Amino acid sequence: MADFETSDDDYYGDDSLDGLDQEEDDLLWTPQRTPSSASKVITRASLLAAQREDLKRVTEMLTLKEHHARTLLIHHRWDVERLLAVLVEKGRDRLFTEAGIPILDAAHQASARSTSSIMCNICMEDISPNDVTTMDCGHCFCNDCWTEHFIIKIKEGESRRVRCMAHKCNAICDEAIIRNLVSVKDPEVAERFERFLLESYIEDNGKVKWCPSVPHCGNAIRIDGDSYCEVECTCGLQFCFRCSSEAHSPCSCLMWELWIKKCKDESETVNWLTVHTKPCPKCHKPVEKNGGCNLVTCLCGQYFCWLCGGATGRDHTWTGIAGHSCGRYKSDHNKVAERAKRDLNRYMHYHNRYKAHMDSMKRENKLRETVQATIATSESKDDGFRDYSWVTNGLNRLFRSRRVLSYSYPFAFYMFGDDLFKDDMTEEERQLKQNLFEDQQQQLEVTVERLSKFIEEKFDKLPEDKVKEIRMHIINLTVLVDTCCKNMYECIENDLLGLLQSTTHSIAPYTSKGIERASELSVCPDSDQILNSSKANDDDAHDPSWVSSAPGTDSEPRSEGQVSCASLDDNGCSSRKRAREETLGSLLFDLNLPAEVA
Amino acid sequence: MQASRARLFKEYKEVQREKSVDPDIQLLCDDSNIFKWTALIKGPSETPYEGGVFQLAFAIPEQYPLLPPQVRFLTKIFHPNVHFKTGEICLDILKNAWSPAWTLQSVCRAIIALMAHPEPDSPLNCDSGNLLRSGDLRGYQSMAKMYTRLAAMPKKG
Repeated sequence: MADFETSDDDYYGDDSLDGLDQEEDDLLWTPQRTPSSASKVITRASLLAAQREDLKRVTEMLTLKEHHARTLLIHHRWDVERLLAVLVEKGRDRLFTEAGIPILDAAHQASARSTSSIMCNICMEDISPNDVTTMDCGHCFCNDCWTEHFIIKIKEGESRRVRCMAHKCNAICDEAIIRNLVSVKDPEVAERFERFLLESYIEDNGKVKWCPSVPHCGNAIRIDGDSYCEVECTCGLQFCFRCSSEAHSPCSCLMWELWIKKCKDESETVNWLTVHTKPCPKCHKPVEKNGGCNLVTCLCGQYFCWLCGGATGRDHTWTGIAGHSCGRYKSDHNKVAERAKRDLNRYMHYHNRYKAHMDSMKRENKLRETVQATIATSESKDDGFRDYSWVTNGLNRLFRSRRVLSYSYPFAFYMFGDDLFKDDMTEEERQLKQNLFEDQQQQLEVTVERLSKFIEEKFDKLPEDKVKEIRMHIINLTVLVDTCCKNMYECIENDLLGLLQSTTHSIAPYTSKGIERASELSVCPDSDQILNSSKANDDDAHDPSWVSSAPGTDSEPRSEGQVSCASLDDNGCSSRKRAREETLGSLLFDLNLPAEVA
Repeated sequence: MQASRARLFKEYKEVQREKSVDPDIQLLCDDSNIFKWTALIKGPSETPYEGGVFQLAFAIPEQYPLLPPQVRFLTKIFHPNVHFKTGEICLDILKNAWSPAWTLQSVCRAIIALMAHPEPDSPLNCDSGNLLRSGDLRGYQSMAKMYTRLAAMPKKG
């Protein structure tokens, strides 16, 4: 590695590599990507730990019991900020009553306990005080009735909002009481209750979503910040957090939905239609020529010339049609007739390019394997002295940008088409913007193809100086491609989507390092144990075992050795910085892996 | 199952005991099936239903009282929250606002209250609802009165 490092200076001077380094640092590890802005994978095991933070915040701030905090959070969709806003705006009492938390009335409770035998209003039996339960709201019924009520509500899917049985009593029942009573009668239902309660953190939460993998990997992803983003689950699936379909930036979710539908509907048909039919100039339906001369009659009765598609009269010979000569150039007078064809052509244009880049990506996937094999053999040949990270970097960059490039075509299809933004731009503006965008797109395309070409070179078979040359090209192109992507996104965000009048269309921003890979949430050793302990004592929100491993507390920087060995796997650069910045419990955001591969 | 039966027996006894307390409501249990009840309720005064006697049918689920009884009008009635053909009643306490603390007696009381205070914004009978919503109180009242006379009053000679 050492001799390559020194030769850097000879080849490109300080700037290019420093530039590379600095650029990546700027992009990734500046405050915008503080540890808290990272997305997290929540597995079944870490689900409880994930909620702890929020629960703890609320219990401490409002000095509440944990189950009340959970009720509050469920009511406010686990949005602590909103919950606090309501607290400030409406006050504690309103906050509580709206969420169904009774404001404790000690006297009421005491009076309910004092009588010797209690009549349960549900079964209308006299029950001994040992067999009744008084809920926080003060309503007292017998345990059998409570249990039946809970089981019915849990089976109805109302686990997160089991209310008191009394008429018009909005109070949410104490989860510990539900747990205890139901588990005696029907442990299976109790288990279901537990699961529903835990999963509320995913189901009733704008910041957490199930990973859409099929078959389901069991994970959920929590993001922090803008919901317009793309993430990668630990199962390897990359998806758009917003719409849960595959990652599709720079297309917006709406564009992507339309595009997928269009592709599904039209791909085969369109291919056939363009080859075999022409639109009738009168009714615009596609017409297939089933034989005979070039004078074609549509079902609607219109005659037209098969060669040019123009409307004609019916008198004709084998070689010519009376009064019609399409050999002679005419200006585009029959615009309507052309329109259907133009639309089709337009779609085909974008679809072909989109498809072409998708196919390239698939082919390059195979290339990746061979390149990596080459690297491995080369490394073993010269005892790992040489650094081949430039190849891997280039390869990753290639995938990343190829993806952006192919999605940029459906984007352009809708951006400059009539479907979505017809009224947002005048024809002139549109033309102007289209040119602007296409310049960027083309630049990106050219650079990507060049990078692809160099990466395909069999560098292990080449003489030393040739390798150095390729290396230089690849490193430069890697940076250049990234810049092109950035420029294109800038153009999209500032000049195209940013200027829309009638609607706002948001897309997941470009991340230089690829789609963010969600990291495992740090988990305490045994979350079940905590669950049990919380069962035993509701106030016990301070179990030391999870506090110590909670995110944010483990802020010690990782040792150098650990980091460097981890980073060698994929890319040599900026790993130290990463380690310094990433103070969360979990290891390694590897944002460098491209689409489709990881 | 057993719990609901026990509770219904209790309610039955209660009804027998308090027969005279609420003269507007007459609750009757099917002789052979404690899960089938009928009720006769008097149309509340100062409403177009005054003077009529309306018959209700109760079908009680096994999980009663944790689940609400199904109630419908057997007597035809022109009311925004009662289906004109089936007699189905749109009342929150019979659906999601049910509380096990309600009894058949109190359900009847709630239905009488609903007759006096229709909710035209959630109509099962759109014609009736629209009359009220458009402010045609007279139209609504005369229709309701007519059907009360036709269906809910004993035929006079």
